[in-house]
Amino acid sequence: MKKITVCIGSSCHLKGSRQVVEALQDYITEHDLKDKVSLSGAFCMKNCREGVSVTVDGVLFSVTPETVGSFFETEILKKL
Amino acid sequence: MNDLCVDVGYRSLNHVGEELCGDHVELVEQEGEDSIILVLADGLGSGVKAGILSTLTARIISTMMAAGLSIEDCVETIAATLPVCSVRNVAYSTFTIIRIIRNEEAEMIQYDNPLVMMLRDGVNYEYPKTELTVGGKKVYKSKIRLRENDIFVAVSDGCIHAGVGRSLNFGWERKDVIGFLETLAPVGYTAKALANLLLEACDNLYDHQPGDDTTVCALRVRRREPMNLLFGPPTKREDNEKMMRLFFGKEGKHIVCGGTTSSIAAQYLGERVCPTLEFFDPDVPPIAEIRGVDLCTEGVITVNKVLDYAKDCLGDNKLYEKWSLGKDGASRIAQLLFEEATDINFFVGRAINPAHQNPDLPINFNIKMNLVKELSECLRRMGKRIKVSYF
Repeated sequence: MKKITVCIGSSCHLKGSRQVVEALQDYITEHDLKDKVSLSGAFCMKNCREGVSVTVDGVLFSVTPETVGSFFETEILKKL
Repeated sequence: MNDLCVDVGYRSLNHVGEELCGDHVELVEQEGEDSIILVLADGLGSGVKAGILSTLTARIISTMMAAGLSIEDCVETIAATLPVCSVRNVAYSTFTIIRIIRNEEAEMIQYDNPLVMMLRDGVNYEYPKTELTVGGKKVYKSKIRLRENDIFVAVSDGCIHAGVGRSLNFGWERKDVIGFLETLAPVGYTAKALANLLLEACDNLYDHQPGDDTTVCALRVRRREPMNLLFGPPTKREDNEKMMRLFFGKEGKHIVCGGTTSSIAAQYLGERVCPTLEFFDPDVPPIAEIRGVDLCTEGVITVNKVLDYAKDCLGDNKLYEKWSLGKDGASRIAQLLFEEATDINFFVGRAINPAHQNPDLPINFNIKMNLVKELSECLRRMGKRIKVSYF
């Protein structure tokens, strides 16, 4: 089980965490990964400058609504 | 002193085609006496003239009563002051005075307006009244001991005349209005919502073309409801513990706003912050859950939205349906602060979040401090008792 956590704090919200969350939710449904990937939120990851902050099993990434597609490909799909 | 308080809401509809309302409502606090005085005056006719008559009447009565003068003096002053209508050769404005003393007693003085309707435990209550003659005018006076959930509704005659000759033969009679209020009472609407609902019903009966100025004032006796809102971490980290102890030591519900703030609160409680991922409103970040906290939201963006709702609520009230039914963080805070709370304690931390001081982001420190200032001012105008403590 992979655990993705998206920061939904103030800064990340303004940088597009909603779009990132929604895109990830869509990809997970599309690839039928509900049993393999869990998605949750975090209030602040203390990485506000580099938002949107996303962690995959504790490893921190900076994702934007533009890069969320390639992030999902390389960090999730390829590593399952 | 008891733990009751009175929630007041009022609104008017103007006679069709008029820009000014001929009814006027004045609400004043009597300093030092812990009482409030509400005056509803209905000026003769409509438009500018009626507006002047009713405004003068309501202002004179409320100011004089607040200064402790007797009703006789007030009526005499009005009779001597009001300009005489050149068409009808009378100086005339009807009025209703409701004075709430120490949240224990209501004193009502009624002159020629429809009699105030009162609901006790959700049903019509015929309160005692005595007839007096003051300055040649017949006036009704009542004294009523207040109980929780008592509802008083004062209206101008536009309300009970609603629909005359249109949808109803004789207008909306007093007993019908009472019936309407009895169906609404159990829902627990705020005074403002109650006044709006009754006024909307009148507007519909008038087919949105009111044949008279129509005003509804609702007063609802309720228990005081304290509420506490924590916003931002303290300037000094070593004050975390103290701030949390004071905040959680307060009676009433607890709202926590802000990411870092939430984690400090959770740590103090020995619990975890569990954020949700549901975007009920695309502009407002999702809420989180902490055991022991009634509501936990993101900070600046959410509170900014609450301020928008507060301003609207005091103005056009166009967003009422949005926030009163919304499930996002801002709507939930609005429901708690605007509707449920009577006494609100703000615990504001003044720590500066360096990541927020980016000129590209609309969430810097000054904005945050202004939010608190503006929001507490709006809430005061809604009749709430506000206390702000900074850390």
